[in-house]
Amino acid sequence: MSAESQPGAPLPRIAQQEEAELVRRSLAGDREAFGRLVERYAAQARRVARAVLRNPDDADDAAQDAFLAALTKLDRYDPGRPFGPWLMRIVANAATDRRRRRAVRQAEPLAAELVGGGRRPDAEAERAALGERLLEALAQLPERRRLAVVLFDVEGYPHAEIARILGVPEGTVRSEVFHARRRLRQLLADWKEAR
Amino acid sequence: MSAQDFMGFDHHPDPELGAALRAALEPRDQAAFVARVMARFDQARAVVPAWEVLARWAGRGIAAAALLALAAALALGRGQAPGSLDEALIAATDPGTSVTTALLVGEGPPDPGTVFAAVVGAER
Repeated sequence: MSAESQPGAPLPRIAQQEEAELVRRSLAGDREAFGRLVERYAAQARRVARAVLRNPDDADDAAQDAFLAALTKLDRYDPGRPFGPWLMRIVANAATDRRRRRAVRQAEPLAAELVGGGRRPDAEAERAALGERLLEALAQLPERRRLAVVLFDVEGYPHAEIARILGVPEGTVRSEVFHARRRLRQLLADWKEAR
Repeated sequence: MSAQDFMGFDHHPDPELGAALRAALEPRDQAAFVARVMARFDQARAVVPAWEVLARWAGRGIAAAALLALAAALALGRGQAPGSLDEALIAATDPGTSVTTALLVGEGPPDPGTVFAAVVGAER
């Protein structure tokens, strides 16, 4: 799955074959091939890492660690399967490990001024405020729930792939996405109402 | 939450929520991040050839050490064998003993000149 593909869009067969070829070349030490994989998945890896680690710098460090860890594990990648979920599992683990190591503090309650959803002077500021509120709300969710909703609604992975990424049953993923959406949709609805 | 709510809720991605979350999580300066990862990739690759070079050096080092050890053994053993041609010839005066045999049964290494003489003599 391409990082820039639309959510839910199935991975074209040719893209998967191309990725398998890029992996094969990367494994042989081809810098350009590895660079193309990094470019293709950088944004997605950083978003997923940020779903776990609120600090953008920590998230980038985790995403970088994940790419380098993936490089050392490329020989274990099954080219018959899509590369994205395999990489995202490494990203999620790297982010979780980093969060544990650094003992990142639990999210604070939503700031009062953000909960109120007051009007902002311009669209840019409104988007920034909404983004901040969503990040705050996301941070209040359990980690697995955060990852599930981001992987499903942002990255477009199907439940079955997310189950493999998170190492949980598919039904658990459905439940996690459901609960996360309920919370986040409520936030969006409040935001719209307040505007 | 009813069972119907749960079953009918999450089969497809929610474009509105997905877009809002994507905007919130969207990282900045993608090119800088990619460059950073590739710099680490280059560092990692630079380490591997260094080890390969060390491995090659190790191979040559072992060979050199073996040669040195052999040379040292030869030097230590000098004097205990029929090192000179004269000694070899004397040893060869015994019935059934050639110069070459005398050199081979000696306890120490022969003098190169002796070996040469033995070889030349054998060719005659």
